[in-house]
Amino acid sequence: MDRYRPAVGTPIEELDTPCLIVDLDAVENNYRAVADRYRGKVCQMRQHTKNIKSPTLARMQIRAGGAHDGVCTAKLSEAEVMVEHGITDVLIPNQVVTADKIARLSALQRQGDVKVCIDNEQNVRDLSAIAEAHGVKIGVLIEVDTSMGRAGVRNPEQGAELAKLAESLPGVTFRGVMSHQHLEDFVDTESRILTARQYIQRCLDVKDAIEAEGIPVEIVSSGETFSYDAAADLPGVTEVEGGTYALMGTSYGYMEEFQIANKVLSTIVSTPGPGIAIGDAGLRALSWPSGPPTVEGLPGVMVDSLHAEHAVLRSDGTTAVEVGQQFMLLPWYQDMMVNRWDQYIAVREGVVEDVWDIPARGCVH
Amino acid sequence: MERPIFKPVGTPSDELDTPSLVVDLDILEENIEIMHGSVREGRARLRPRVDIHCTPAIAHKQLAAGGTVGGITVMTLGQAEVFAQAGFSDILVVNLVVTAPKIARLASLARRTTVTVAVDAERNVGDLSAAATAAGVTLRAVVAISTGPGRFGVGAGQAAVDLARAISGANGVEFAGLMASEGQILEDDPDLLANATRDRLQPILDTREQIEKAGMEVGTVIGGGSYNYEIAAAIDGITEVPTGRYALMDAELAPYLPQFRHAARVNSVVTSRPEDGVAIVDGGRKAIGSDTGMPSVDVPGAVVTSLSAEHGTLVLDAVQPGFGDRVWFTPYDVGECVNLHDYMHVVRNGRLEAVWDIPARGRYR
Repeated sequence: MDRYRPAVGTPIEELDTPCLIVDLDAVENNYRAVADRYRGKVCQMRQHTKNIKSPTLARMQIRAGGAHDGVCTAKLSEAEVMVEHGITDVLIPNQVVTADKIARLSALQRQGDVKVCIDNEQNVRDLSAIAEAHGVKIGVLIEVDTSMGRAGVRNPEQGAELAKLAESLPGVTFRGVMSHQHLEDFVDTESRILTARQYIQRCLDVKDAIEAEGIPVEIVSSGETFSYDAAADLPGVTEVEGGTYALMGTSYGYMEEFQIANKVLSTIVSTPGPGIAIGDAGLRALSWPSGPPTVEGLPGVMVDSLHAEHAVLRSDGTTAVEVGQQFMLLPWYQDMMVNRWDQYIAVREGVVEDVWDIPARGCVH
Repeated sequence: MERPIFKPVGTPSDELDTPSLVVDLDILEENIEIMHGSVREGRARLRPRVDIHCTPAIAHKQLAAGGTVGGITVMTLGQAEVFAQAGFSDILVVNLVVTAPKIARLASLARRTTVTVAVDAERNVGDLSAAATAAGVTLRAVVAISTGPGRFGVGAGQAAVDLARAISGANGVEFAGLMASEGQILEDDPDLLANATRDRLQPILDTREQIEKAGMEVGTVIGGGSYNYEIAAAIDGITEVPTGRYALMDAELAPYLPQFRHAARVNSVVTSRPEDGVAIVDGGRKAIGSDTGMPSVDVPGAVVTSLSAEHGTLVLDAVQPGFGDRVWFTPYDVGECVNLHDYMHVVRNGRLEAVWDIPARGRYR
């Protein structure tokens, strides 16, 4: 774990590198964009903390508005971090399956309202039995597969059966339905929104089937960054699980209202040959999420490849690259990158404003 | 920070919380014995690359096994600081330390530890010299010789001789020798690997002669890695081989080094069986890693078809594993996997023996 606390007021030119920067103007812009979009709507944002790992950032969306007073977390241990930091309305859009994890989830119910998703009978029976033994009730939502081929019930009938079972069990409370989406190739905003609505409709179909059984569906949690606008006005959807929008990656560049707010500040440490430079952040610090990071601040310079602790940069000659020069690396997809850091250096207009721990880093359990 | 459920010593491996990094101590010790035993009789010595595991508990075992120079190799200054704190007194930093804040840290570290750093530019020599002189310390410097495009370092021959001379003439800096700046060669034909290794290292050995003819002593020549350790250690003139991945091993290197076994694996639980032939598990990119390749899984006939941030998807040709069953992954790049975790769960004979911190993870700076 790295501990780096540059003084407030330090210009970024004086920072030791590499370090993970969060640009406050950009992240505030992103939270404002969501607040503006959801103002006055039934549908509200429930920010996904897998992309930020930080209760500080999570709370910024809650304060900005357009959001539920809660978050969703990828894992149980990430939920614990949020609850410990005072964010007590948590949805885990994932399965919690082993006996000791369910015991831990049961204990957490005494500190907050932590809901979990199910797609299988055995799991909901286990949740109920262990919760009952702990004297608590666990809120459950049915996970619906709409496009990812991952977890989730595959049709409305399965969803309705599972909801009926949950209703009949003493240790769980049926709360609603949840789905993730995966965006295929699309040509324009119209087709993106159409695709998103088609996917989310599959989740709403499960809601309808459950309601047809006379079971009320309180929560419909669906959508993410690429569909947050499509979901906002879709009747029946109560919340959207946006994550990437907060800090952004270059692969989401088509969502023009959001700005890249997370960057790795890096330094050129060697210029071993013509047109080649070596930067001091590599695979360990950046990850390789099927797309390369983008160089900012050195026109004509691109990432050629990454070694464990170094980036190999190629320059077309536009910029005279020198040892000691700083530049920024922008992630293609930021989720895996943020998870490798223990601190954000919060910067506004090139000056350090704060340093934030990333307490949910590594929360894979 | 990672938050597993910590189990009592003696807990069976199959009951450890998932997904966790689990290290088999017998296999680790066996791997260390094979590697270190191979060099005890020879002239070359190992300088273990501890950045691969980031764990002092393993590094101490490596030095205790003999056949080493008594020191270790790291990739970043931050890692050097961690290992110095953990009791290591001879540390090679295979990196270029070029900025003022880092050079100050390096000089400070040299008060308590013998530190050797790579150098590939004359200007850097001047900066190191000034800082070392001001701090009243001696920094050891090795000339990094680039073995290919995208690697830092100077060319073999005159450029390296000139840099050696600059180091020798500078106050506060001691010329320690030469270092190959290289990546691994993955080649399973032993003759081809031997030829490629010699082709790569011979120019460095020739440079050594040139430097000695110019009247400077070349204390050490560092080259090779786990992938070619026997060949590199047998080359006359190579004094130190920085090997690292042999200790824990991984799926990338295993086909080339069958004498070493997998000591590091990640356990995982099936959290969903949404369709026949598909199992979703709780280990994904944030727990296992897949920056450079997919992990293997211990289920016969199963294929890891995708890893998303928090999930793995297995396609099965059998009914097992079922919901709640456990599987074991072998990471493709163990260095990436270790860097995702804060703890190593250490087992022997199938039972938990210890939990080790991984204090140098995340030390990119």
